[in-house]
Amino acid sequence: MRRVAIVGAGMTPFAEHFALGIKDLVPMAVTEMAGTVDKGLDRGDIEAAWFGELSTTDGFPSGILADSCGLLDIPVTHVENACATGQDALRNAVLGIASGYVDVALVVGADKVRETSARSTFWDWMGMTRDMAWDYPLGLVAPANFALHVRRYLHEAPATRTHMAMIAVKNHKHAVTNPKAQLRQEITIEQVLSAPIVVEPFGLYDCTPQSDGAASLLVVGEEVVDRYTDRPVWVQGFGLGMDRVMHQHKPDMTTFPPTVKAAASAYAMAGKGPQDIDVAEVHDCFTGVELMSYEDLGFADRFCGHELVEAGDNYVGGRIPVNPSGGLKAKGHPPGATGVAQCVELFEQLRGESTNQVEGARTALAHNIGGPTAVSAVTILGADKT
Amino acid sequence: MITTIGTYLPTWSGPGGARAAGLDEDALTLAVAAGRAALGEGGSDQATRVVVVSRELPLLDGDNAAALLAGLDVPSDVDVVERLGGGPSTMDSLLAATPGTLVIGVDLAGHAGAAAGWVGPEARGGELSPRGRVHRSLPLHVRGQDAVVYDDDDPRLQRERGLRASLAVADLSGKPVAIAGLRRREATAYCQGEVPELPTLGSSAPLFALAALADTAASGIVGAVEQASLVAAWWDPGDVVVHRDEASPQPVPARRMAPGPDIKFAATAYDRAFDAKLRWQAGRCPSCGTLALPPRHRCLTCGEEGTATPVALPRTGTVYTLTTVHVPVPGLASPYSLAVVQLDGVDVRSLVQVTDDGGDTTDIDDRGRLVLRRVAVRSGVPDYGYAFVPEKRN
Repeated sequence: MRRVAIVGAGMTPFAEHFALGIKDLVPMAVTEMAGTVDKGLDRGDIEAAWFGELSTTDGFPSGILADSCGLLDIPVTHVENACATGQDALRNAVLGIASGYVDVALVVGADKVRETSARSTFWDWMGMTRDMAWDYPLGLVAPANFALHVRRYLHEAPATRTHMAMIAVKNHKHAVTNPKAQLRQEITIEQVLSAPIVVEPFGLYDCTPQSDGAASLLVVGEEVVDRYTDRPVWVQGFGLGMDRVMHQHKPDMTTFPPTVKAAASAYAMAGKGPQDIDVAEVHDCFTGVELMSYEDLGFADRFCGHELVEAGDNYVGGRIPVNPSGGLKAKGHPPGATGVAQCVELFEQLRGESTNQVEGARTALAHNIGGPTAVSAVTILGADKT
Repeated sequence: MITTIGTYLPTWSGPGGARAAGLDEDALTLAVAAGRAALGEGGSDQATRVVVVSRELPLLDGDNAAALLAGLDVPSDVDVVERLGGGPSTMDSLLAATPGTLVIGVDLAGHAGAAAGWVGPEARGGELSPRGRVHRSLPLHVRGQDAVVYDDDDPRLQRERGLRASLAVADLSGKPVAIAGLRRREATAYCQGEVPELPTLGSSAPLFALAALADTAASGIVGAVEQASLVAAWWDPGDVVVHRDEASPQPVPARRMAPGPDIKFAATAYDRAFDAKLRWQAGRCPSCGTLALPPRHRCLTCGEEGTATPVALPRTGTVYTLTTVHVPVPGLASPYSLAVVQLDGVDVRSLVQVTDDGGDTTDIDDRGRLVLRRVAVRSGVPDYGYAFVPEKRN
């Protein structure tokens, strides 16, 4: 397959951008991205765009991207795949280039979560993601989907809420130096454990905030990389894994099979394993989800994720630094933007430019789980071509 | 002949010892609970008519009958009579019942409870025979189509020109042993013997009275009164069987309703799911036997398509995992709990609400049963489904 590299990466700050609409955030992210292309970007070079947006605000997404960025003469495709949306937009762009269809493609991920009142968000979201007769009326709010998994995980594994709290503390600490992060203050384990319970076993600090934002990547075929940079970041592998959607059809809720499947494809494609990963951005919409994902991604043995936490291996400077950007937990989580923004952080990490740099990082992994828990995307990026 | 009597009392204890329905209960779910207690597990394929007597059925326009029959698990071609009335109407319905009739009285506001009498096809049980009836008008408590309540609180007038005058007119030729519609203290003045305390005062009260007398094997006149109307009958409990679904009373937990937009109703999804959701049925694949809840076009195991047939699911199970939602969710009472329940004896799990409990009362591995509850009210439509009642609550 033709090799594909990322040569530009940028994002808006993640925040409750009440004053900015999707039509503001998308062009802002694209301009941020263009500013990172070492040898400059002539926008006329862009031959196609893939746009990941989970919800739809102010109109149909492809049209919004084309119109708001002035890209009226190229094909634009909307990608929606729950919380794997952003990475799946990247995957589709990479396939478009690998196939020879285009040489230069734009990837954008964005979402405007705080466009409706906080109250109606619950039901809007459930209506978008759940079976209207069997799930929706139960009040299966977003955190509850993950809580059903984590509660069972805590029942079977030696991990406790304290280990989850330690992950929140880490991600908040990591976000402090990230100018794009939504929550940039350090917190303590005691604060996390004494915070009000949102959905058992998640307290307030175990949960991602509601965020708006956009992120963008420029991806190009190997023959044209030199036109844009001498320091490309290579897409070494990717995978997308699925599972049954309804919780009653998942026999073992202490693991996320979509992650296991997506990681297996991505590792195989990259010719790498978990031991090769220098830095990872892992889906931490809730702290317990990051904890469980250590095992599904192969960073820890089954039911041993807490040992990695206790050893501090998941900090920048540790054996497998996770979420140096602050993660969804502290950087923020506009679902369509999230997977793309993870790659923005890893782009910076692999070029040695992150505000929270992992020394000598050569290989990086991004992970999302969503749907809730019925789809996962894993992407492996490298400073080296293979 | 009344073959069996089933009673249901909700678990919450309200003011003055009265039971209060949970926030996920309404007159229909109460009726189903009592009706199922009377019919026994698996319902009855011998029912030809269901009479439900209440002044508080959920829908005036719309339909209560289909949900009632589905919850009772009797066929959908059974005649349903929704009788607007109180205790005297329930007594009349029992007296008029032909074999194959289930009569259910339901009370929601004030003293909540429901009771059902099953007049089975076989001639056994207790015998109820008419003793007197009088309809007189003394409208001291009224509620019209505008739903506004007018209460003329005058207990002496009520006593003298209500029950006392009606008893004189009816000439029961003997003193009653129980009066449904009065508290025990008031009833004692008109009765002989040890008068039973009844948990309700309205449509379900006569059946609670018959059940109480069956417990002590006492025969006698039972009166059912409502304001100035009276229906009396002679009750010989014989070998009537009483099944009580009455949880021990618990204090009402703290929970709050959050204001917000109406919960969206999707009529097509409601329609497609109705039978399986209210009758508690899985789809069974004829090829490999796999059960699917909800029923689905393509078999979960072998991929067979479009041939699944409905089968009844077990109504007991064990909690595999659960969570309690504390954050306020518009239209629901928080906190509430959701559980994935492994059903007994089948390879089926279900995601359900835990019945209104104020949250955090249930744990992994808890045993319990599944009962019909009003899961949500969606744009005015009561949305029924099954919910988990932990065994330890009883």
